[in-house]
Amino acid sequence: MERCIPRTTAAAALCLFALAATGIAAANTNSPTIRLFPTTVVEDLRQTSSVAQEMETGLQEVIGRLDQQQQLYLESKCDGAEDDSGCQRLAKQIGATYLDMLGIMEERLPDMEHTVNNTRLSLEKRLRSELGNKMTSWTLQETLLGGNPPEGASAPSPSLRGRSGMRLSERFKQYYKLVASSSSSTDQSLAVLASDIYLDMEETSTLIARTREEIARATLIEQLNQSFGTITPEMMEIVGGVKSILFGDETSNVVIAGPPPGSVEQAYRSPLEQ
Amino acid sequence: MKSATLLVAFTAFALASCASSPPPCEGPQTRNLAAAVDHVKGALGNGCAAHFDRYYDDLLRTAEGDPKPENKRVFSEFLVWSADEGILSQRQAKEYYNRYFNVKFMTLQGDYNNCSHTCPRRDRVLLDMERELGDKERGLLKVSLDNSGYYRADELFKEVELVLEATCTACAAGR
Repeated sequence: MERCIPRTTAAAALCLFALAATGIAAANTNSPTIRLFPTTVVEDLRQTSSVAQEMETGLQEVIGRLDQQQQLYLESKCDGAEDDSGCQRLAKQIGATYLDMLGIMEERLPDMEHTVNNTRLSLEKRLRSELGNKMTSWTLQETLLGGNPPEGASAPSPSLRGRSGMRLSERFKQYYKLVASSSSSTDQSLAVLASDIYLDMEETSTLIARTREEIARATLIEQLNQSFGTITPEMMEIVGGVKSILFGDETSNVVIAGPPPGSVEQAYRSPLEQ
Repeated sequence: MKSATLLVAFTAFALASCASSPPPCEGPQTRNLAAAVDHVKGALGNGCAAHFDRYYDDLLRTAEGDPKPENKRVFSEFLVWSADEGILSQRQAKEYYNRYFNVKFMTLQGDYNNCSHTCPRRDRVLLDMERELGDKERGLLKVSLDNSGYYRADELFKEVELVLEATCTACAAGR
């Protein structure tokens, strides 16, 4: 309901009703509510998740094939026997599959880039207006603290920061679920969530742009390599990188134990407390 | 005879000047917090108000030797007394209390919006917050055994860092 521009009478009536309802809802709450996730942002997130899933599905098969071919290459003891004609044939097959992978990425990345950028820009606008222009550092702090949390309640900690080593689509799906069910969330976790997603999108956006630039170069090099039937270390590195980005890096899931739980004594409230 | 009189007069003058010299403003020697507070109150009321920072630090050190949740109240009452006696302003008393014993960061006080005020000096703000977190570690954790309060402050610091990074990036993109 952030922009309600009616085109027909019926739409205008709906708009009025919605605006009135929003007004009533706003009047009923004591503290100002921050609006970081309008429906457009939620929809952008859902779409990004589905585009990421399509790309993964496309790549999964080709990466599986690459793995098998590499395995065969190693088992055939081709490492160091590049002059062998059988090994050259295997290397060419691997190169061709690698080109397939680059092709799929080249085809799907523009969609991905588009949806990621849409989400990033919507969030950027929201963050700037809701947290940047409407809040001071003190009100921001109070929003993050969420008033006075009940005694002994553990603080909500939506510390995602997109470093979870999970599938790209799974990550966006998680974001979507978190945001879509945000009616039950408090403003403090939404502010952290919005910041987290925004920074993640920024990084993803830059990486996609860089990857798109690199794909052209990598394709050209591989096309040249095809004439010689060699496997370059760079090729293996790129495949490994793509796998870890798309399908997660298991080593990053190590969890370190948290601090011991705090004292449960009745907390003292000073008259000086702000 | 004349020189003896002169010596007596000089000694008397020296003693008199000793009596009127400023008090030594010694810190509390006891390890008991209540007794230390009494000592500090006496000293502050006796012309040592300029040494308030040092005395506050002495009291914190004494309390660290016997940490317990009630210490928060002792410090609060001491600061309220200091404000009542006119040694500190109300604002200063609040600053001293909240900096050490509250989860909220006093560093984040400000009347202007984040895009125009906080973002241009974000590094400075975060550095000051980090310092304040050190004081909270002392007040909340080491003096009052308020583990959950300290960990919430630590978490809040990280959240502010993340949210400011995103907000300031968004502000910069809109210029």
